[in-house]
Amino acid sequence: MNEQTEANNGYIAVANDLVKHFQSGPSRVRAVNGVSFRIPSGRIVAVRGASGCGKSTLLNLIGALDKPDSGELRVDGVDVPRLTGAPEVAYRRRKVGFVFQQFNLISHLSALENVKLPMELEGDSKRASDEVASALLRQVGLADELHRRRPAKLSGGEQQRVAIARALANNPPIILADEPTANLDSKTGRLIIDLLQALRRDDRTVIIATHDVEVAAKADAILEMSDGQIVSRSGG
Amino acid sequence: MITVNGAFATRLDDIQSQVGTSVTVRPAGSFGGGFFERGGDNNGGGANGGNTNGGNTNGGNNSGTSADPAASTQPPTTLADQDVNKVTAISHVVSVSSQMTARYSGTGLESAVQPRQGANPAAPAPQAGAGGGFRRAILVTGTDDPASLAALGVQSAQLTSGRTFDASESNADVAVLGQALADHNRLKVGDTVPINGTTFQVIGIFTSGTQFGDNSLFVPLTTAQTVFNRPGEIDQAVVKADTASDVDQVATDIRQALGQGNVDVVTEQTIFQAITAPLSDAKDSSRLGMIAALGASAVVILFSIGLVARQRVKEIGILKAIGASNWHVTAQLGVETAVISVTAAILGALSTFPLAQKVANGLLSSPSTPTGGRRGQAFGAVAGRAGGLLGSVNVAVSPEIFLYALAIAIGLALIATVVPAWYVGRVRPAEVLRYE
Repeated sequence: MNEQTEANNGYIAVANDLVKHFQSGPSRVRAVNGVSFRIPSGRIVAVRGASGCGKSTLLNLIGALDKPDSGELRVDGVDVPRLTGAPEVAYRRRKVGFVFQQFNLISHLSALENVKLPMELEGDSKRASDEVASALLRQVGLADELHRRRPAKLSGGEQQRVAIARALANNPPIILADEPTANLDSKTGRLIIDLLQALRRDDRTVIIATHDVEVAAKADAILEMSDGQIVSRSGG
Repeated sequence: MITVNGAFATRLDDIQSQVGTSVTVRPAGSFGGGFFERGGDNNGGGANGGNTNGGNTNGGNNSGTSADPAASTQPPTTLADQDVNKVTAISHVVSVSSQMTARYSGTGLESAVQPRQGANPAAPAPQAGAGGGFRRAILVTGTDDPASLAALGVQSAQLTSGRTFDASESNADVAVLGQALADHNRLKVGDTVPINGTTFQVIGIFTSGTQFGDNSLFVPLTTAQTVFNRPGEIDQAVVKADTASDVDQVATDIRQALGQGNVDVVTEQTIFQAITAPLSDAKDSSRLGMIAALGASAVVILFSIGLVARQRVKEIGILKAIGASNWHVTAQLGVETAVISVTAAILGALSTFPLAQKVANGLLSSPSTPTGGRRGQAFGAVAGRAGGLLGSVNVAVSPEIFLYALAIAIGLALIATVVPAWYVGRVRPAEVLRYE
């Protein structure tokens, strides 16, 4: 647990009354409607709910991919809603790693190059980023002979492994996984969840947005969302 | 278009530098009425003919400096040796050459040019040809500057046989004939031809590439003055100033020295502005084409890059989500844009430069150079040289032009980067990844 987390009384992420609206045609939709939570460090937390309940929006707010309309959100000591410019970029690069439902790998780069990308953006040397990227790909179980392949030449499970390796590239304290198994068969999905569970060993916090009860069941805590609000909490 | 425009500009500069120092002096009213607009012929049917020029009987030496008050109200019809002396004394004048022209339609030499059907009745009387038809008079030019036929009213003149006369033959009965005239009269170098009772030896034959130019002949100035009974008379003087910047001052000084109303003084700059109009027009057209091409290229590049940025919006969103700054993404797109633009510029240049000469030729319509024609002999002389220069526009692809094109391509690429920069700055990762 780092100093920032200690400053938040052991919670790596704390939110108070977060609100996020979207304009959908003529109407204004409250995707996140007054959400508050405290997430301890080193846990796996599942944000569960039906499609459109606001869980992906909540992850985007935590990952600084979007800004809340109101409310407070502190992650690892950082006042996320106030981030702009270089601090916002640094936050995305160092504090969080994103795993998307659609994998979202850069199609014209190889698996290795995709994993190296965050490190290169951080300014790491080519050699160092090469070594770390290869090690991460091995860590997530991608065979060496697949490292030079482009995403299109990899299966869905292999692509998601590459995405997880990329999320770990700059060793962020939080991994945000948005429906990481939704595009995978159940067997591969279980392997991916096992992989995410293994990340907890490094005192890393993993927040998974999922509608899958089986996936949520493997989390340390579950935040149940409905219509943009957290309707129930369970676990630690 | 850059190459073509550059070639036209270079050619115009060349013409300016080559011919920009001459000033032509003629009696007032001479310009605008050329050989065919002037008065009766100087043929005497074997004897010395009437001394007419411009329809006016020459009463002698009517220079603008005459003490006779009447002279100031009636401009002279010719210049005289003393006028030339005055001009020679003007500062910045390097040389003065004199010419006298006469039309000849007497016996012994027949014009090779037939008049047009329905020709202007005011035109000079045609001569009766050997076959019973009518023919135009022959232009005879006497000059004291035989060094360059180009100065005598024929453009790009080249001797096809023989030689031209030299300074030692200022009184000799020698002639250089145009090719058409020689062919029509079956004359060759070494033959003799009678003109106004004097037998001339043909010492050279030239061609100018035009029917009118080749229907003329040249003789030494003093010989011409004697044969046509116009001693000491000059129809025009061509004055060379030492530099182009002194031309206007020299022209002003000549007008002052000879009398403002007595002479027409025309600089080659003036004439060439008229003569090089097609070249200037072509240059303007090529410049417009260049601007249009650049504008079109800029629009195409801007739209292309904009389109590419939009199509790659997901990639931009991913990059920003994993920690790429706007600068990173813009730089990546900018480098790609620059590489594509420079490659396109090189390929475009390599594929279109060979066409540049054809484009230049297409833009440059053939100018009508009035050699020895309607706008006067002096005009024709200068025009002839100008026409020769106009016809030789050569589009060469220099390294400078190539680098210029490359610089424009890179400039356009940099400008085009503004679009992705603006676009990247607006992309919110959550939005583009949400609607993927």
